Amino acid sequence: MNSLSIWTRRDFVRIGLASAGAASAWAAIPGTARAAGGTVNFADIGVGDPGGDWSLFTKAANGWNVNLVAIGNAPSAILNVLVAGGGTASYDVINIVGGMQKPLVDNDLIEPLDTTRLPAWSRDRNVAEFLGKGTPGFNFIGYQDKLYGVPTVLQGDSFAFLPEKTGPLDSYAALFDPKFKGYVALEDNYTTAGQKTALYLKHANLAKIENPADMTPEELKTVVDFLVEQKRKGQFRVIWSSFQQAVDLIVNKEVYVIDCWEPMVFVAKSKGVNAVYADPKEGYLLWAMAAYLTKNPKRSAEATQAAYALLDFMLGGWYGAKITLLRGYMTNTDAPDYAKAHPDQFPAEGAEKVAAITANVHRKFAQGGTWQNRWPKHVDVYETEWARFKAA
Amino acid sequence: MLRRLLARWAFPALPIGFAVVFVVLPLALTIAVSFWTRVGLVVRPAFTFTSYEAFFAGARLLVFERSFLASIEATVLGLLLAYPIAYFLAFKVSPRAARTVLLLFTVPFLVNYIIRAFAWTWLLGRTGLINTLLMASGLTNEPLDWLLYSDVAVLIGLVTSYMPFMIFPLWLSLSGIDRRLIQASWMLGAPPARTFLRVTLPLSLPGVFAAAIFAFVGCFGESAIPVIMGGVGYQMMGNSIASAMDVLNYPLAAAISTVVLGAMMSLLLVWYLAFDARAFLGMIVRPGK
Repeated sequence: MNSLSIWTRRDFVRIGLASAGAASAWAAIPGTARAAGGTVNFADIGVGDPGGDWSLFTKAANGWNVNLVAIGNAPSAILNVLVAGGGTASYDVINIVGGMQKPLVDNDLIEPLDTTRLPAWSRDRNVAEFLGKGTPGFNFIGYQDKLYGVPTVLQGDSFAFLPEKTGPLDSYAALFDPKFKGYVALEDNYTTAGQKTALYLKHANLAKIENPADMTPEELKTVVDFLVEQKRKGQFRVIWSSFQQAVDLIVNKEVYVIDCWEPMVFVAKSKGVNAVYADPKEGYLLWAMAAYLTKNPKRSAEATQAAYALLDFMLGGWYGAKITLLRGYMTNTDAPDYAKAHPDQFPAEGAEKVAAITANVHRKFAQGGTWQNRWPKHVDVYETEWARFKAA
Repeated sequence: MLRRLLARWAFPALPIGFAVVFVVLPLALTIAVSFWTRVGLVVRPAFTFTSYEAFFAGARLLVFERSFLASIEATVLGLLLAYPIAYFLAFKVSPRAARTVLLLFTVPFLVNYIIRAFAWTWLLGRTGLINTLLMASGLTNEPLDWLLYSDVAVLIGLVTSYMPFMIFPLWLSLSGIDRRLIQASWMLGAPPARTFLRVTLPLSLPGVFAAAIFAFVGCFGESAIPVIMGGVGYQMMGNSIASAMDVLNYPLAAAISTVVLGAMMSLLLVWYLAFDARAFLGMIVRPGK
């Protein structure tokens, strides 16, 4: 939709008045605040962009705009942007896969959130249901009892398979089943593939692992020893490291079982491949994206208010429905109702899709599993052990 | 006096200053950081061999060895393919045709290197064009798994990526050989093979070594081809450095880079000691003499 098309004459009058007011205020505020005035700088990993359309936010936030900048999702990329790249001054809000508050807070990179400034916060039932204090999900938005992130996306990962080649599958055991030797792919990521393997080993009583989400060095060594053994037997075809690579592996039927993300299955299906995203009995690898307010003492009160307005907007129905539709993830509890109630913005088919995706992810969270841990206690050991697996 | 001094030093100062700021200082900083220590997410100046110990004691040493071997294989194979092409272009075709062919060899570089690597996966995969043709022609009954996600696939990717880089220095070196020396060899009765082995090949060695260094250095630091075309977890040094950076272990990443730098500098030293670089460069400015 053209952002100008939804403007009415009244909007123009309002914007005209607002502009006059802003011009007066402009002269009164300090130079640094003026420089950022009117734009919320929003760093995102490629999931939080509602197709470039921020017009409803601009309308709701008295003319403030959003400048979206894409950043990488790897913890190092995020920390490099914020620490070495001066990102706390460049960005007001960062929207990333949560769970790495420890390095972000310990290095003074993000602010605790004041939920009284977020009217939509109390409406989002996902927070109380899955991300509340004292639950593992809280680690995706909070740290040491303080809240830092607004949940923007929730998802549960498992693996995909081609039923015509494998038959029905309902366990991570399929990834290590000799029947599929040479036709299995894993993600090149110790916090996903490594953790799913740990979940499988724990449930199958093949290893003593207390918490697959935060393993001790000994537990991790057990997991990697198992993976090395599987690798040497020729179980895996490849380990993938990009969205396109994983989609190609499924679409070209290069592998029959693949540890991957659900949107890859959506893409494969859209290309005519009958791929199924598994519902494993061991549960899912659960994760959430969170939007954080960066710590910038020089940010003006107006800019902070606008950043809060953006966080609140991201908890709203329109944004949630748009992201669910575009990316295939559950967002907030307003999203399905909003899409259904606004056929002018979300045609019936789209609203049904939003409701179906939300219900499916909600079911996954209800079933449970293990929460992904983006920054485990022994993260260096994870990296070293994963390097050992790859080099073996 | 001042003007003469300025005139004398102004021009060399520019490239020297550029090299110091953009090459020497970053490398010196990399070497320094490799001895630093890491506390949390920050690195602190120190003098410790911890990162080197982690490198030489861990799986990364295997990656170093693999990178070394794969780079040598790709370089040798690349030379075997590039030399005849360069020879043909230098001696058997007109300069105009040679320029056209050389221009064609630059075309693949207009395509993003990741797209190029992905294109290979579509060709070499189990359901790719090559396997489909092999099975349709009855040469094989089932797809050849080793064509993709294997050491062979990485070799194909490396050779096809870096071989064109090798053709240019080889062609320059061969083009610069004084033809009278070759004619003299013929006139003294040496058969073509002997002329090649005793005259052409030795005179082209600076180009051979330059081409080998271009390819070897590029292969050694390659990161996209191993990830896209290599087998389970195939890594080369570039991937290993990136992996250390993923957990913000800058001293370890710097230590790996320093080891790689040391290996590359040793090769360059051999080249410098074995050949007169001026001869090679002189031939560049006096082609066809």
